[in-house]
Amino acid sequence: MFKRKWLTAPYLAFILCGTVIPLIAILYYGFTDQEGSFTLENITAIADEEHAKALGLALLLALICTVVCLILAYPVGLILRKNASGKKGFVVFILILPMWMNFLLRTYAWKALLAGNGVLNNILGGLGIGKLNIINTPAAIVLGMVYDFLPFMILPIYNVMVKIDNNLIEAAYDLGASKGKVLTKVLLPLSMPGIISGITMVFVPAVTTFVISQILGGGKIYLIGNIIEQEFTLNGNRQLGSGLSLVMMVFILISMALLNKFDKNGEGSII
Amino acid sequence: MKNFWKRFYLVIVLLFLYLPIITLIVLSFNNTKTMGVWKGFTLKWYQEMLSSPQILNAFCNTLFIALIAAVVSTIVGTIACVGIMALSRRQRNTILQLTNIPLLNADIVTAVSLLLAFGLFGISLSLGTVIFAHITFCLPYVILNVLPKLRQSGTSTYEAALDLGASPVYAFLHVVLPDIMPGVFSGFLLAFTMSLDDFIITYFTRGAGINTISTLVYSQVKVGIRPTIFALSTVIFVIVLVVLLLSNFLPDKIAQKREEDAKKGIELTPEQRRKKKTLQRIGYGLMAAVIAVVSIFGGRYVGAMTGNGEVIYFYNYGDYIDPDLVTAFEMQTGIKVVMDTFDTNESMYPIVEGGQVSYDVIVAGDYTVEKMIANKLLQPINYENIPNAANLEPSYMEILARTDPGNTYMIPYTWGTVGILYNKTMIPEGRITSWKDLWDPELAEYGILMQDSLRDTFMVAEMILGFDMNTSDPEELQQVVDLLIEQQPLVQAYENDAARDDLITEDAGIGMIYSGEYLYCLDENENLDYVIPEEGTNVWFDCFVIPANAKNVEGAEKFINFMLDAEAGLATFEYLTYPIPNSATMELIDEEIREDENVFPSQETLDKCDMYHYLGKEADQVLASYWKRFRGN
Repeated sequence: MFKRKWLTAPYLAFILCGTVIPLIAILYYGFTDQEGSFTLENITAIADEEHAKALGLALLLALICTVVCLILAYPVGLILRKNASGKKGFVVFILILPMWMNFLLRTYAWKALLAGNGVLNNILGGLGIGKLNIINTPAAIVLGMVYDFLPFMILPIYNVMVKIDNNLIEAAYDLGASKGKVLTKVLLPLSMPGIISGITMVFVPAVTTFVISQILGGGKIYLIGNIIEQEFTLNGNRQLGSGLSLVMMVFILISMALLNKFDKNGEGSII
Repeated sequence: MKNFWKRFYLVIVLLFLYLPIITLIVLSFNNTKTMGVWKGFTLKWYQEMLSSPQILNAFCNTLFIALIAAVVSTIVGTIACVGIMALSRRQRNTILQLTNIPLLNADIVTAVSLLLAFGLFGISLSLGTVIFAHITFCLPYVILNVLPKLRQSGTSTYEAALDLGASPVYAFLHVVLPDIMPGVFSGFLLAFTMSLDDFIITYFTRGAGINTISTLVYSQVKVGIRPTIFALSTVIFVIVLVVLLLSNFLPDKIAQKREEDAKKGIELTPEQRRKKKTLQRIGYGLMAAVIAVVSIFGGRYVGAMTGNGEVIYFYNYGDYIDPDLVTAFEMQTGIKVVMDTFDTNESMYPIVEGGQVSYDVIVAGDYTVEKMIANKLLQPINYENIPNAANLEPSYMEILARTDPGNTYMIPYTWGTVGILYNKTMIPEGRITSWKDLWDPELAEYGILMQDSLRDTFMVAEMILGFDMNTSDPEELQQVVDLLIEQQPLVQAYENDAARDDLITEDAGIGMIYSGEYLYCLDENENLDYVIPEEGTNVWFDCFVIPANAKNVEGAEKFINFMLDAEAGLATFEYLTYPIPNSATMELIDEEIREDENVFPSQETLDKCDMYHYLGKEADQVLASYWKRFRGN
């Protein structure tokens, strides 16, 4: 309809200056040493024990976080599909409203909640359930990640769910499908695009976080994000920081490429 | 029954999402800044919030950045979507893949890559760079929201409008835009929210002097987050909540009424419908206008408060000065203090070195000042203009002269030691005498805390091993790292600001801490006691310095002189609880505290202590590599 390709120009300018050129800058720093000559050292540094360990742990925790988010979010999508189809705006608001309270503060609040003598333990103790000693462990980091990124899993799943035509489900029932069958053979395949984009939206920030691990991990757990952040701020080694960032990006791209095999249409979207 | 479980599940998920928010709201009324203890209801944080230019400034900056970023990205994004529709399939896919990059990229990579690009092109960091960065990461959200709507809406109505003689722009504004409005609106809202909630990208791309709520929170880690920020967040949250509830339930009510009207056979005339639409538009317009006015005028207001007449630019740790003192100084001299805050010496140093902003006074840690002296970033203090320097305790100045011969550049602001704080109800009084006690497996059950700070943490191991705390000898450092790794299984957490809170709430029984925190902790929990270990420890000073590129040296001298006044020292001591190296102030302090050798150690104890020194760039890198070896373990 619109014959005005040039309308993309301002946007392309932003992509060029805000995304492409900065990526080239990071490539440049990643492949040079402090004197500016070419080197692969910053890339191969990922093999150093402390770097490899941090990357491995980050990938593992992010994977756990993504799976937990999926398990928590999918039923929410299923329930909301039937009950709240007319209130889409409200559901979205409720889910993004927490973001209006600063992210750092929310994470600090979890620290206060999870502390050995914190609010949650007092409640659990009062109920006679016993203590939940997860603060300063990887479990606390996963909990923080799940908390922060859960809305990004629920939203896309909910979005594809409400679009699923009810007639399809009724047809499946009419043809004698059981509830389980309807779930696995109708709903699940149809909601796949939402699941895929949800996984992306959760997995990527989870792999790369450094704030959550710093606050909830008691400084005992280093993820790749922490290493990169420290290279840039504390150690002032931009080259190594860039190199490690590039490696991390490659790992993310590989994960996403694997994932995108399932998403042929690219229909999932956050809203 | 089934429905009950479904509801129950939803409630649990919502509770999970809102639990921290409820916590923060409760904490904003808590009469202490220690998280995790309830000390009674207070409104003082709300009062403090309203009178703090720093908080208001951060609030306005946050809104301003989010508003500009969201508006620009919505306009550019929506226009781009129209253009994208005209592209061939292949071009479109390419552009969409590019759009996905910022979404797929880690925040930290986006942030760092922008930082590097700004650096390569010699663009100095400012508010502009932050806004640019925010627009960049907001754009994909707009595109991904608008494009599907545009595809859905199809071309027929647009073409019909053209056939009927509308110009393309008119047809777009009156036919296409209303159709895709929900997408544009949700894109805008998401962009606004993302910008508002961002920390990492702002942190890396901001210029000196620009704080958003996020960076302000982060800069306060040295002394603990002040609940004024909880109060501010609560206010923002409640306003947004009310607006959202109204905008969600009012339309329902209106729709209900319309339905009833329809049943009764009352149809709205086109005239009435148009009126209603206009009203709705006015509503949205008002909302946007309120945000715009608050952020722009708020910024102006703060700007006016600080922008007229004589100004000094002051660079300090977050929440590391009594705000009343700043006000008093401004009243007394008519000089406005523009304060900028940092979280650590390490993050402050490159900004001063970069010289993009010229500060007049900086508060910095001793060994960082030494590095500044070595790199010629400071100018000598003219003691003639600072008569109150006579109040400074000579014996401390002597110690400080080890770092700064002749006390040429540094005027001490606060000082203290690093020691061990422990809980007397868990560990018998007098049991703790040595740094080695932090390695005692018997004490691990109470919770042992270590600092998460290169020099301090290394220092402890160096003291035990009998090394110099300024060593950069690889063999010695390897032993230090080995010793610290050996301790790792016993340590509950490595933390800085949070250590204080954990000891107060008795989540931990023993930990290393700065002497300045001891009095604060004692106030909150009387079971705590502080010990300077027998092996000796680090004596540190945070000092006022005047950078070589300071513009208002005279104002800086007046400010330092004001801060060295006996009464000002007392106010500082009471606000920070950090010892003040000021003999005139000492006379005003309660005798009980003055005699407390934990806070003000005897000369004998001080003789066993040493100061950190700046070791040079190469040694710094050696230390950093060993630190990583330990932390990455």
